[in-house]
Amino acid sequence: MRVVIADDSVLVREGIAALLMRAGVDVAAQASEPEELLEHVDAERPDVAIVDIRMPPTHTDEGLRAAQEIRRRHPAMGVLIVSQYVEAGIATRLLAESPEGLGYLLKDRVRDPDEFVDALERVADGGSALDPEIVSGLLGGGRGNGALERLTPREREVLELLAEGLSNQAIADRLDIALRSTEKHVSAIFTKLGLPDTGTEHRRVLAVLQVLRA
Amino acid sequence: MRVQLTPGGTVEHGLVAAPVSRRSAHVLSRFSGRERSVRFWVALWLLAAAAQIGALVPVFSGAAAAEPGYALVFRLLGGSFLVCGLIAWRRRPDSNIGLLMTLVGFGFFVAPLAGQVDAPAGQTAALYFVDIWTIPFVALLLTSVTGGRVQSAVDRLLVWTFVAALGVLQFVWMLFLEQAGNVLVAFPDEGIANVIDKMQRSLTLAGCLGTILVIGGRWRAASPARRRALLPSVAGAVALLLFASLLANDLLGTGTRSDLHLWLAITSLLLVPAAFLAGLLRSRLARAGLTQLIRDLRRMRGTELQAALAKAMGDRDLVVARRVPGRQAYVDADGGPVALPTTGGERRIVPVERDGSEIAAIVYDASLDDDPELVEAVSAAAAIALENEALHAESEGRLAELQASRARLVTAGDAERRRLERNLHDGAQQRLVALSMQLRLLQGRIREDPSTAEALVTTASDELALSLTELRELARGLHPAVLDHGLEPALESLVSRSPVPTTLSCDAVGTLSRPVELAAYFVASEALTNVAKYACATVAQVRVACERRTLVVEIADDGTGGVDPARGSGLRGLVDRLEALDGRLTVVSPPGAGTTVRAELPCGS
Repeated sequence: MRVVIADDSVLVREGIAALLMRAGVDVAAQASEPEELLEHVDAERPDVAIVDIRMPPTHTDEGLRAAQEIRRRHPAMGVLIVSQYVEAGIATRLLAESPEGLGYLLKDRVRDPDEFVDALERVADGGSALDPEIVSGLLGGGRGNGALERLTPREREVLELLAEGLSNQAIADRLDIALRSTEKHVSAIFTKLGLPDTGTEHRRVLAVLQVLRA
Repeated sequence: MRVQLTPGGTVEHGLVAAPVSRRSAHVLSRFSGRERSVRFWVALWLLAAAAQIGALVPVFSGAAAAEPGYALVFRLLGGSFLVCGLIAWRRRPDSNIGLLMTLVGFGFFVAPLAGQVDAPAGQTAALYFVDIWTIPFVALLLTSVTGGRVQSAVDRLLVWTFVAALGVLQFVWMLFLEQAGNVLVAFPDEGIANVIDKMQRSLTLAGCLGTILVIGGRWRAASPARRRALLPSVAGAVALLLFASLLANDLLGTGTRSDLHLWLAITSLLLVPAAFLAGLLRSRLARAGLTQLIRDLRRMRGTELQAALAKAMGDRDLVVARRVPGRQAYVDADGGPVALPTTGGERRIVPVERDGSEIAAIVYDASLDDDPELVEAVSAAAAIALENEALHAESEGRLAELQASRARLVTAGDAERRRLERNLHDGAQQRLVALSMQLRLLQGRIREDPSTAEALVTTASDELALSLTELRELARGLHPAVLDHGLEPALESLVSRSPVPTTLSCDAVGTLSRPVELAAYFVASEALTNVAKYACATVAQVRVACERRTLVVEIADDGTGGVDPARGSGLRGLVDRLEALDGRLTVVSPPGAGTTVRAELPCGS
């Protein structure tokens, strides 16, 4: 797994790099601003580009625009957007365009390198990674037209991980249950939420998000 | 009613004593003619009534049965002039119009009354004074718009013409006239008497024609308002014309006068008091119109006001000239310049005042001075309307300023929130994220690589200390907690943090309200921030004092100066904050001579 890291704070950048390297990730390059990031991405062709939302010069959404540029230039490359805050509004806009190979996480998540690398791998494989804070925020707001009420506690747990972008196998591993029962839970959830189970994992996040936002 | 005017003093008007404004003085000056007692007026009215009754005695007693009808009308003329004259005199003691009319009235009675005295002297007087009324009558016609005062040389010449004809030549004629009861006859000679009679009639005719021409000329040149005032003169001119035609008939014709002609001439004299009464009635009506004017004033602006005042005054050419504040210049409702007429002409000016200073002037026709109450009422109405207008403009200006300041406060608040978020995000939050990562790294290395771990702990600890400092600064920016201990300690710590050496003097500052303390603190804080950032100063001073219920906060430096207070959101924000507390901010910053920022806040202690 090769990554390029872009963050204007050298402390944060170095922190992320150090933790990822310990977890066995190959940090190919580091950048402090968008142009530098794009150069490294073009040169290194990493599996995933880790991009801070706020970067110079205006510290508003330079990171997002750099991420879009990366996806335009390298459609197969994963992009993991990191930030000190996560907002459901940004998440839905990001994923609505194309959820494949895209992640959106709090920077703090790197403290648990296993889960962070897990997310990196999902994104690198063309899957999605959504920060649990966004998912729990959406689940806690009484949304989903009351459909959420009909879920069992276990199904809710599965739904949360589903929304974060985890595959059935990853959910099974995380919850320490059999893959078979995970698949049963997933199909039960999809039925209760009125979603067609397409079987592909890529679009699941988006479908679930749309239900949660309703 | 007793109206007494002392220069610059007070007017006693019944029980009310109030300072005399320039406008009131202007109006009252027209009443400052000689005061007459009630006894004077009663005596005059009784005298007039007695004269009228006396003149009519021959009619009642049948002694005048042989007289033609127009002679009876002639005997009644005196009464009608006297009634009008006495009313006018009483109303406008300063004008001679009333006096002249009264003289005309009595003038009509002299001959009829004297004629009843059964003595040669009476007959002589009756003969001599038969036309004496004509002199004040002509004077009245010529001066109806100048308050009964003969002003022009032509007027004077005309009046003297009649004095010469009816006063002097009459006397000379009687010296030669042989007639029963004429005691003046000294050199009876019918021929000379006839010549003098012809001379006298010619002179009178010339006087009549001259007067008619003068009045006609004035009528042609007059504005509508002035024509109304000229109406009695014109009526008199018509009568004079009829008399002139009688005289011409005497001089050129057969010498006999037709009854109809005499009827017309004599009754036409009644037009004069009738015109006068019409004028009186009109001014009553105009005053009734004031009620409507006052009612409509609230809604009136600009040109509407001028039109309404013109209507109320009956002067189409009336102009409301607004005074340009601080200058001796006037503009109309649309802002165009207005030149005020010079005094003494046919246009008059009445100032409209507010709080003792002139805010406008009304230019109107001088003839309207005949009705000073109307002029005063209209100018008072104008004062109300203009004041309304000014207050309206003022309140709109204030409202706009208020809205702008409110918008600035909101914008400033938003900018401040944004700044705080930035500071948090880029500062403490960032450091804490990094710190959490470092601790995580540390966890892995603490056993296997103690020396790296130690270095990591040192960095982490430094990061933490920095984060704390930043958070403290931020919290202080949100609200200086030290203010809970009072303004002075808060300013002390502010001054101690200033990079430019700063001294603080804080005199006798008692208990202040929270908003005032906060405003004072922020003024000092913002000013010191500016000193540190821009002033290149070597020293600064903060001075706080309470002067007469006003808290003064002054921050002075010895820097480069040249600060423009209109620029920079910081100072603008302070101005808004101070204005919200009824305070104000002044910045004195001459280039090269340092800057002094001074805030004044009402502090109620």
